[in-house]
Amino acid sequence: MKLALFGVGNAGTRIVDQLLDAESRTDRPLTDGNVLAFNTTPSAFADTSHIDDERQVVIGDIHPDVSRPEDLADESGEDRREGVAGDPELGVEVARDDLPEIRRALDLVDDTEVDAAMIVAGLGGGTGCGLGAVLLEELASIYELPIYVLGVLPTSEESDRRAWTAARAVRTFVPLADAVFPIDTESWLASAESDDYDELNRAIATRLVSLFGAGERETAAISELRMDPNDLKRTLDVGGLATIGYAETELEEVSEGWYRRLRRLLGLDVPEREPQTDAVSIKNLVQRAADSKLTLQCDIETADRVLLVLSGPPKELSRKGFETGRYLLEDKTGTVEILAGDEPLPEGSRITATILLSNVTGVPRIETLQRRAVEFQREQDDLSASDPDDLSAATTLSTSDTQRSAGNQSTGDDQSAGDEQPPSDDHGFDFQEAELVDQSEADSEGESTSSEDETEEEPTPADGDTADDDTAATESESTGDGSAAENEPQKQ
Amino acid sequence: MKLATIGVGNAGSKLIDRMLEFEQETGRDLCRHVLVINTARTDLAKPDHVPEDRRVLIGDTHQKAKGHGVGGDGEVGAEVAKNDIDEIRRVFDDVEIHEVDAILVAAGLGGGTGSGAGPVVIDELQKMYDEPVYGLGVLPGEYEGGRPALNAARSLQSFVTKVDNFIAFDNDAWRSRGQTVEEGYEEMNRELATRIVTLLAAGEVDDSDVGENAMDSSDIMRTLDTGGVSSIGYASTDLDKPEGLLSKYKKKEDDEINSMDAAKIKGLVRRAVNSRLTIPCEVSSADRALIIFAGPSSMISRKGIESAREWLEQEADTVEVLAGDDPREDSDTLAAVVLLSNVTETPRIKEIQNQAVDAQNKIKELDAVREEEIASLITDDDNELDPIV
Repeated sequence: MKLALFGVGNAGTRIVDQLLDAESRTDRPLTDGNVLAFNTTPSAFADTSHIDDERQVVIGDIHPDVSRPEDLADESGEDRREGVAGDPELGVEVARDDLPEIRRALDLVDDTEVDAAMIVAGLGGGTGCGLGAVLLEELASIYELPIYVLGVLPTSEESDRRAWTAARAVRTFVPLADAVFPIDTESWLASAESDDYDELNRAIATRLVSLFGAGERETAAISELRMDPNDLKRTLDVGGLATIGYAETELEEVSEGWYRRLRRLLGLDVPEREPQTDAVSIKNLVQRAADSKLTLQCDIETADRVLLVLSGPPKELSRKGFETGRYLLEDKTGTVEILAGDEPLPEGSRITATILLSNVTGVPRIETLQRRAVEFQREQDDLSASDPDDLSAATTLSTSDTQRSAGNQSTGDDQSAGDEQPPSDDHGFDFQEAELVDQSEADSEGESTSSEDETEEEPTPADGDTADDDTAATESESTGDGSAAENEPQKQ
Repeated sequence: MKLATIGVGNAGSKLIDRMLEFEQETGRDLCRHVLVINTARTDLAKPDHVPEDRRVLIGDTHQKAKGHGVGGDGEVGAEVAKNDIDEIRRVFDDVEIHEVDAILVAAGLGGGTGSGAGPVVIDELQKMYDEPVYGLGVLPGEYEGGRPALNAARSLQSFVTKVDNFIAFDNDAWRSRGQTVEEGYEEMNRELATRIVTLLAAGEVDDSDVGENAMDSSDIMRTLDTGGVSSIGYASTDLDKPEGLLSKYKKKEDDEINSMDAAKIKGLVRRAVNSRLTIPCEVSSADRALIIFAGPSSMISRKGIESAREWLEQEADTVEVLAGDDPREDSDTLAAVVLLSNVTETPRIKEIQNQAVDAQNKIKELDAVREEEIASLITDDDNELDPIV
C-alpha cells in the first residue's frame, strides 16, 4: 500500500524521517516521495536527512503568539519555547490562519499515486495535536483516500498537560480519521536501558514498513496470496484504534559446502536445501507476533479485524504453518474477519510475521491517559476558580507545566531546553513566570492576551472569572457535559 | 467437449492457467476460448498461458477497488462486477459461441472477487447464451477461517442456483504437511486441472470412427444435466512404454496380455472413487455418474469397462451410469476419471455452512457495538475532555 506521509511537529517529523530511512534500506517503495513535514518552528527540521527542503513547511511563524527562534534569541532555559509552546488551541488557530499555506504545500503530494494518507504526530504536543487536527480535517475533505494517524502518546514522565493534550487528541482524531495507530511510548521505553527513543522509532519504522510495504517491493517474486492495498484498507475500515505486532526468525546463513560446490562444478544436480522451518515453527512465529509487544498494548480479544503478513523466502513458508497461524489468530482474537497474505522474498535472511489488529477497544493505556487528563483539567479549573482575578492563569499554568516536560524533548514539539526545575505550585512564582512569557511576546502589536483567546476556544481551563457563580459556571461548562458542570460547584 | 473457459479472481485465473498447461502437455484441445477476470492488477500478471489480451481488470475505476482487489469482501466483488458488466459483456462478444459446447466459469469461493464477481458473470452468460454454463468452485479449508467460509457459503448458493452444474473442489481434502504456501496451491491447482481436463476433453473431436465405446460431449453434458453439486474422482496408472524395434515386435505378439484385464480396469475405477474426490461425498447420494478411461485404446477392454460400470451402478445406487473411453494413443498412462453428478451428501459443505453461520453472527455482534465501543474508548468516564476541533 502506497502511503503519503505527513509529519507534524517535532516527533512526527522525526518518525517520518526514520520511515523514509527504513523505506530506502528495505527496498520497499512506500511513499514514492509523497512526503510533507509541518511545523510551527523551523528548528524542528534541523535533524532530518530524508525530507527535501521544499517539503519542510513552517506554519504560523507570522502569528503573534508563535515564538520564532529569533524572538527568543535572548532567552534561554525553559523560556526558550519555540512554536506554539505546547498549546494545542494555538496550534489549531495558527493552522487555520495558515490554511492557504498548508493547501499550497499539499500540491506537492500526488494523491492519485497513493492508496492512503498518514499523518504522523506527537499527540502530547501543541503542534502535533492542534496543527495535526486541522491537517486531518483538511485531508479528509480534499482526499478520497483513507486517512490514518500515527500518534505518539506521552509517557508518565511527561507533564500532565501533555497527557491532557494527548487525551483530547485521541478524542479528536479518532472520529475524523479512518484509523489511529497510537504509539505506546511508555511500554517501549520501560524495557530500554535509558530513554532510547531510537529503538522505539526503529521499531515503529520496522512495523509500519513490514505492514504497509508488503508487496510493494519491486523485485518481489509472485506471491500466492498477495496482500492488496484493499486488504489493509478493509481491515482498517472499522475505524478506532489500531495496533501492530511483529516477530521474526533469523535464518541461518548456509554457505555452500565443498560437496555441493563439487557437484555444481561437475554439472551434477545440486540437492535442494532442506528448509530450516516447518509448519510448527511458522505457527510459533505467528503466535510470537500475537504475543509480542504491540505498538499499542491491548487486550487482543477486543480486536475487530485482523491482518497477517508472512514475509520470507518462499521455500520457508509452510502452507500448513501459515494456515494454522491464521486460525490461531481467529481463535485468540475471537473475530472471523482475518485476512492473511504472504510476501515471498527469495533472498531474504529472515521470516517475519506482522499482525495488524484493528479497532482494539481494551486499551488500559488510553484509560490511564484519560484519568490523568481529567485530573489535570479539574486542577486547572480549581486553580482558575480560586484565583479569579488572575487573567494570566492559563498562560501561567502552561508555563509551569513546561518545566516538567523540559527534559523530554523527544516526543515534544517544543524546543524547551536547559535544566529542569522542580514544578511549583506556588502562585507567586507562577505569576512571575507568566510575566516573563508576556515580556517575550511584548514586541508584537495588538497582542491579544492568550488567556482571552483560550477562553474563546476552550472555556474549561480559563473560565476563572465566572466560575464562582454557579449559573455562569454551568453555562461556560456546557461545551463539555453536564457531569463536569455538576462537579464544579461541589469543589468550591 | 469444446469449452469457453472463464477464470474469475486469483484462484479461478490460476486454475484456468493450469488447465491450459495440462492440455498443452497432453496434446488436448479443450479450451477454445480463455478469459480471466480480476479486480487486482497484480494478480492478472500471474498466468503463464493466458494471452495478455484475454485478461480483464474490472473495478479499476471503482472507488473501493481501484485495481487493488476487493479486500476479501464478496459484496464489493459483486458490486464491482455489476458496475463493469458492460466491459465484461464486451469481452464475451469475442467468444464464437457456436464453436463451443459449453462455458466453464472457475472461481475460488473463499475470496472476494471469485465469490462476488463469479455469480454476476454467470448471470450475464446465462442471459447471453443458450449453452450450458458450468461452475468450477474451490471451497476454502476450515483453517482459512470464518470470513472465507461465509463468502463461500453465500456464494455457493448463488453458484448452484445459477449454473447448470457446479463442480466443487475442497481445499481441505488436498492439504498436506510439508508444503510451502507456494507449492500447496500449485499442487492443488494441478490436481484439479488434471481431473477437469481429463473429464471434459473426452470426445472433444466427436469423431464417430473411434469406436463404439468412445464417450462424446453429449454423454458428459447429459450426466451434468442434473444440476446441483458434483464431485470428480481420478486414478491413473503408468504404462510400460515399449521401446525400440524389438519390443515393438514383441508388443504385437503380447497384445492380448498387455491389455489390462477386466479386474484391473475395475480396480482403477474403484481407486478413483475411493481415493480423494474433489469434494468428499457419499457416493450413493449421486444422481448420475460417468466413467471415462483416457489412454491407449488397446489397453482398455470392453469387458473391463462394463464391469467397472456395473460396480459403480451399485456403489452410486443409480442406473444412470455411463462408461466409455477417450482414446489417447500416445499417452503413457491410463487414467480413470469418475464424475458423480448431483451428490447431495457432502459433509464439507455442511461444515462450511455451520462455520459461516457462526462467522455471520460474530460479524453482526461486532457491527452492533462497534461505534459505541469506539466512542466509549475515546471518551473519558464523565466526558469532561473536549475534542480540539
